[in-house]
Amino acid sequence: MRRLLASVLLLQALYANLSIAAEHLMSLVVTQPYLELHSGPGRGYPVVYVVGRDEWVTVLYSRTDWYKVRAPNGQEGWARRDELASTVLASGEPAPIPPYPDFVSHTWELGAGYGVYNRENLVTAYADYGITESIDAEAVLQQAFGTIDNRVIASIGLRHTFLPEWKWFSPTAGIGTAYQHIADKAPPAPLESSNQMAYVSLGARGFITRRFMWRADWRHYVVFNNLNRYEDLEEWKFGLAVFF
Amino acid sequence: MEIRLGSILLAAALLSGCGWFHRGEQPQNQVVAEEPPGEPSVIEPQVNRREVKTPKVKAKDLEIGAYFGALSIQDFGVNPVYGARLAYHVSEDIFLEGFLGTSKAGTTSLEDVFPDITVVSNAGRQFTYYDLDLGYNVLPGEVFLGRGRAFNSQLYVTVGMGDVKFAEKDQFALNFGVGERLLITDWLALHMDVRDHVFETSLTGRTKNVDNIEATLGLTTFF
Repeated sequence: MRRLLASVLLLQALYANLSIAAEHLMSLVVTQPYLELHSGPGRGYPVVYVVGRDEWVTVLYSRTDWYKVRAPNGQEGWARRDELASTVLASGEPAPIPPYPDFVSHTWELGAGYGVYNRENLVTAYADYGITESIDAEAVLQQAFGTIDNRVIASIGLRHTFLPEWKWFSPTAGIGTAYQHIADKAPPAPLESSNQMAYVSLGARGFITRRFMWRADWRHYVVFNNLNRYEDLEEWKFGLAVFF
Repeated sequence: MEIRLGSILLAAALLSGCGWFHRGEQPQNQVVAEEPPGEPSVIEPQVNRREVKTPKVKAKDLEIGAYFGALSIQDFGVNPVYGARLAYHVSEDIFLEGFLGTSKAGTTSLEDVFPDITVVSNAGRQFTYYDLDLGYNVLPGEVFLGRGRAFNSQLYVTVGMGDVKFAEKDQFALNFGVGERLLITDWLALHMDVRDHVFETSLTGRTKNVDNIEATLGLTTFF
């Protein structure tokens, strides 16, 4: 922990030095009557400077929907994404200010959520890669907190989205393999401390706003054990995710 | 024969020379030939296109940092806590944040009064947690330092869940927090946070929900 903290502080110091180094920056010409620069990256921050038509601005970096720009006289401020998108490059081409990623065809997803695993509280985090619009590969890491044991579950699997073009709600189904590690066992807990598992899942996903989405999932696990009996587990969870 | 060969070679050289000389005009002649009479000829410029690479704008939506403060572990006194945090800003209002922190619990009043009694072993006094939170910037604004200086700031609330490892056992914990982010520069921020880690335990006899409130001061950078 101490080492982690030290490395975080070191990274901060390194980063501070790096940000001073000169970078190759994008320059844009204002084509609308004016471009407003706010004092902060938010709708409420006051306008501190106005760049006129045909003047140049240098784009330094972005934060969420805001771009930090520098006016010719050195004045810096934050411009809104949609306002900056109507400027042009020196060549006259429209400014390459990317729009939000398209929800239907997005590739990456990172999310976390709450669930119930084998009637135990579950904290879940996942990464998801879209192979096609309707087929994803997902990797999930989760921790279940029970009264008689604690479990860490890691799984990888494939998921099919039935109607990816349904933005607000589309059903999904998946299969995969998982591994569970059981710790802190109290007497009535399982005899084995780790198992290989396989699962099938049914779920749904939907778009919320910008690059935000939700996911709900129900999973049925079959546990491969050496106890000479059939063992299965159920899980459901709900999570929020960011897509790229 | 020699003269004839020489003149053929000379003619060939001349022709090729003329060809070389008029190379630039050849397409023009062709265009003129194809165009209906009366229209002006178009000159195609023989200039190579310059490859212009537009620099990419760097997105600085991630915030990483460290914090230090005091954690009140219910029944176990107030103790120093420190940790690391990583946030991703989704929009100007919403962010996702993860925390990783640790502290060491003191003794309960019972242990203070009766020194022979041990509620938790020495190794079990280590209080380690991780949180996954959803944050909302409720009150963005500016704070003023004297006449000439203004700093951007955001008052935010967070809610989330995670794990608390205490008394050598992992417990599911809910987190509620409120904090202030003060941007010293656009990439360096000072945080003041108050957060509560709530979990169920039966360490001190009966099963109950315990509130473990921490107050911390942190420093983060955007990248």
